[in-house]
Amino acid sequence: MTAVDSARGATRAVPPVRARERRPARWRRVGGQLLNGALTLPALIIYVGLMVIPVGYAVYYSFTRYNGIPSQSPEWVGLDNYTRIFSDPAGEMHSSLLVTAVIAIVGSLIVNALALGLALLLQKKTRFNTFGRVVMFYPHVLSALIVGFLWQALLGPQGAINGLLNASVGSTVPFLSNPTVALWTLVGVIIWAQFGVQLILYIAGLQTVSAELQEAARIDGANRTQVFRHVTWPALAPTFTIALVTSLLSLLKAYDVVLGLTNGGPGDATQTWAYEILAVSFANNRVGLACAQAVLLIVIAAVLSFSIMAMRRRADAGAEALS
Amino acid sequence: MSSHTHRRYGWVALTATTVLVLTACGGGSETQEQPSTDGEVGGQIRMLVNITDNLTQEKWDELVAPFEEETGVDVVIEGPTGQSVAESFPALLAAGTAPDVIQSIFPTGDTAPEVLDLTEFEWAQETPMVDTYSTDGKINVVGVGTQAQSVLYYNKDLFAEAGIDETPKTWDEFDAALSALDDAGVETPIGFASDWATGVQAQQVWHPQQNVTTPGWQAEVAAGSSDLGEQFLPLFEHISSWIDAGYTVPDDIATDSGTQEAKFIDGEVGIYPMGSWFATTLASSPPEFEVGAFSPPVEDAEAYPGPMGATLASPYMIWNGTDNAPSAAALVEYLVSDEDAILEQAKMDDFSRTGLDTSTNEYSALVQELMDNAPELVVPGNQTVGDLALPVAGFNAKFTELVQQLWLGESADDIAANLSSWYEAEKTE
Repeated sequence: MTAVDSARGATRAVPPVRARERRPARWRRVGGQLLNGALTLPALIIYVGLMVIPVGYAVYYSFTRYNGIPSQSPEWVGLDNYTRIFSDPAGEMHSSLLVTAVIAIVGSLIVNALALGLALLLQKKTRFNTFGRVVMFYPHVLSALIVGFLWQALLGPQGAINGLLNASVGSTVPFLSNPTVALWTLVGVIIWAQFGVQLILYIAGLQTVSAELQEAARIDGANRTQVFRHVTWPALAPTFTIALVTSLLSLLKAYDVVLGLTNGGPGDATQTWAYEILAVSFANNRVGLACAQAVLLIVIAAVLSFSIMAMRRRADAGAEALS
Repeated sequence: MSSHTHRRYGWVALTATTVLVLTACGGGSETQEQPSTDGEVGGQIRMLVNITDNLTQEKWDELVAPFEEETGVDVVIEGPTGQSVAESFPALLAAGTAPDVIQSIFPTGDTAPEVLDLTEFEWAQETPMVDTYSTDGKINVVGVGTQAQSVLYYNKDLFAEAGIDETPKTWDEFDAALSALDDAGVETPIGFASDWATGVQAQQVWHPQQNVTTPGWQAEVAAGSSDLGEQFLPLFEHISSWIDAGYTVPDDIATDSGTQEAKFIDGEVGIYPMGSWFATTLASSPPEFEVGAFSPPVEDAEAYPGPMGATLASPYMIWNGTDNAPSAAALVEYLVSDEDAILEQAKMDDFSRTGLDTSTNEYSALVQELMDNAPELVVPGNQTVGDLALPVAGFNAKFTELVQQLWLGESADDIAANLSSWYEAEKTE
């Protein structure tokens, strides 16, 4: 029956048929919704069980003094843990925040710059490039802890590199014993271990850039830089956003490499926020304080991620307005 | 209000309700009651142990084999699931899968309610250092012997080359010895190492003087009549002066203890502060030179040797939640009381025991001599149980982090002030 029929009052002429038709349709709709709900339920249970509840517990414990032992009850202390973090009476929180900021900001920028540069070099499918991609991705396959121990053996005062330097030029580099050099060594090792994933993201992103557009730009007289700036880069911008956000989030959580390479030292020169949570607060059974630190890390990660994505959306909107 | 907004509020409400309900249920129950140790010995028990180069899984299995044969109990040896037993035990407690017997760590303020009270056992009363490690007379950890902490191993050949005829007794003599070693071209006059070792070694050097100046200093600090930073300030000043003179360099605190020990054995280190367990390492890789050992210096030569820093060797405790307490208690009794088991453990990791010759090599005999000459045994600052425990957690890790900063150019005063600030912040937790 068409809308015109209905408008002519056809529904009044055959009311029992309409009612019969409407009821199964509504049931079908309700049934469909129930089925959708039932199919969503397993994923929902997993999501709530593995994400919502643990984060909920972390938020709750962050307002308590608790040692993590189930037979001993958490004691509600309000904002004490957060006050401890912000006031930092023992001078340990703020320095680890600074170390984390350096690793996350400098590290993610260098990782992405390196990965993008190498992706441009390795984007064509040749045997050498395939081999190059495998070699570049390989560090990411290794456990971060192993990476830390491996580089410690190479860069330590008695390590292979300092041994070679000592034998050849008669001096060594304090890769792990000078606080400033140790921090940059850590950043370098993290970059080495990290950029394989970003490289793959950029190579995948480059496959989506229109070859016709690039060719057209070249025919119009654009040089390599201009083609990259005006054709490749805009097309690669969504990939760049994803790569930047994922590397930033990954570096904010840097822990394993720190443990293997420097164990936070010398002094507290390479103690990251995650190291402070796992190797200091949790290790001393201060679960309440550790949870407050973890909650702040989640908030910082969320703010940074959403800010980058908002900037990206604004840039897209600006570009559309101009075109 | 749109249906989308309704749905969003619905999700928020559902999530919040779930979380609140579950967190409300998440509160802990009361501490477990003490299980009975009366009953039949048998079945299976799990023992969490420290695994090192000296304490291998194979040696642990051999150690408990006679007990298993005699009692029929199946003892399952487990290594730490995390970095160490200290890290693994609280995690296993939280998971509800703690082992029946725990070796190598002491109870802390947090874990003490979770371990069995051993006060009622006669054999527990006869174990070493039992008074030092008991709280108000209550025993919840027992050990197999005493490990000397304050031992300065030295290379006799390098001392002779530097013209040092007698080991130093005072700080002035100690500084002069380091200077002589340096002048003689010794690469590392005093060998400090990275990670945990830096803090432990610094304390080892300081135990005798600290306990001469302030006997029972932990109690003084805990009572507020002494400041923690002030307790260590003179030590920090000594170390700073050694760093300034180049007797120890920043590379030392980035060199792991295994490598530094290898350097000592290779004859590149003049003095190496370490606990009695280093004697086992020396015995397994004997150096070509003759090794000596002396007690750290004190201010006044008449007070030399000062009290010896010492800890309970191979501590054992039993989890309160064990369902096989009789077997767990029988195993611990065997490990700390049976003479053969004690001697076997002395072979694994060197220690002393009054009334029993546990010297297994020439190096442990050197340590035993220092123990015999010490006027008393004193416990270090990281002791977590007993009437002399500082009311803070994580002392060694923080002490190491701070003392390493001396090598990075921080002043002794600043490090002492930071240690005090940390203590004040932690004890209020």
